[in-house]
Amino acid sequence: MPRFDTLNPAWVVWDGPSPAPEGAVLEYTRELEKFLADIERRAFRMAQVALRDPDDALDVVQDAMLKLACKYAARPNAEWRPLFYRILENGIRDLQRRRSVRKRFMAWLPGTREDPDNEAQDPIDNVADAAPAIPERLMQAQAMQQLEASLRALPARQREAFMLRNFEGLDVAGTAAAMGCSEGSVKTHYSRAVHSLREQLGEVW
Amino acid sequence: MNEQARDSFEERSHALFQGSVDSLDFALRSRLTQARSAALDAAAAASRRPWFLRKFSWTPAAGVTAAAVLGAALWFGPLGHPNVTAADAPSLEDLEIVASSDEGSGDTMDMLQNDIAFYDWANNAANPGPAA
Repeated sequence: MPRFDTLNPAWVVWDGPSPAPEGAVLEYTRELEKFLADIERRAFRMAQVALRDPDDALDVVQDAMLKLACKYAARPNAEWRPLFYRILENGIRDLQRRRSVRKRFMAWLPGTREDPDNEAQDPIDNVADAAPAIPERLMQAQAMQQLEASLRALPARQREAFMLRNFEGLDVAGTAAAMGCSEGSVKTHYSRAVHSLREQLGEVW
Repeated sequence: MNEQARDSFEERSHALFQGSVDSLDFALRSRLTQARSAALDAAAAASRRPWFLRKFSWTPAAGVTAAAVLGAALWFGPLGHPNVTAADAPSLEDLEIVASSDEGSGDTMDMLQNDIAFYDWANNAANPGPAA
């Protein structure tokens, strides 16, 4: 696969029939590459928290990247982050909706049973790790697992607000833009999410 | 709960999340890079299309056109079979008269026999032969 640097930069969205100025296009390309490279791992982890399945999370992140690059690359850079997360959250919601429909349909078919947690067991997961686990890292991993489980138990909007504000570090206005709601709603969702999480995790943490 | 407790909780959550991001394995990072490149490749392919194809999708228009054609075909009748009206339909009554060979209704044959001289003249006029 060719590296991104070797791509023809002329792909950046340009609405006019005449070709875009080359310098501007190059600038867009570099900026977008930097933005996506910066955001992709956090976006993946957030999608994984919501969807559990890493393949699904990867698909949703890739779709969000594609839509941002195709439709919104010409927008000001400051708008990319909320736009990207709005696309991502929509993708997550669509996938969850499809899953629930599929689950309902599969329940009618005899002899078919979905994996209860939608987590297929990978044999490689059962192989012992050669490197000794560092206790501190192990504890952090366990704490993160507990946090993920508690986040999944939250209503979707509260989870979105918490992840965008706390994990991604968006401000209230950016979170409102990403969630497509008012700033007041963001504050409410976030406050409730923190309250619920603290109640659930207070004893463990 | 005081403000300090809230801050520490948020900070811990953020730190844990950031730790989990940093500890993503190499295979997953590689897949993410590939996904990014694939997305950008697809965007590049889309941008190479002419601007009028890029602006909007033709799929809805094609669907509407196909539906209109189908509707017209169903409305105006099946293709390849022109409309058959009552006036165009072969009249069984006429056929019966022509084919009739009943004793009391041999009008057609009688008419032919009575005018045989006329038909003979008409044939000669249409196909004039060499003068005898």
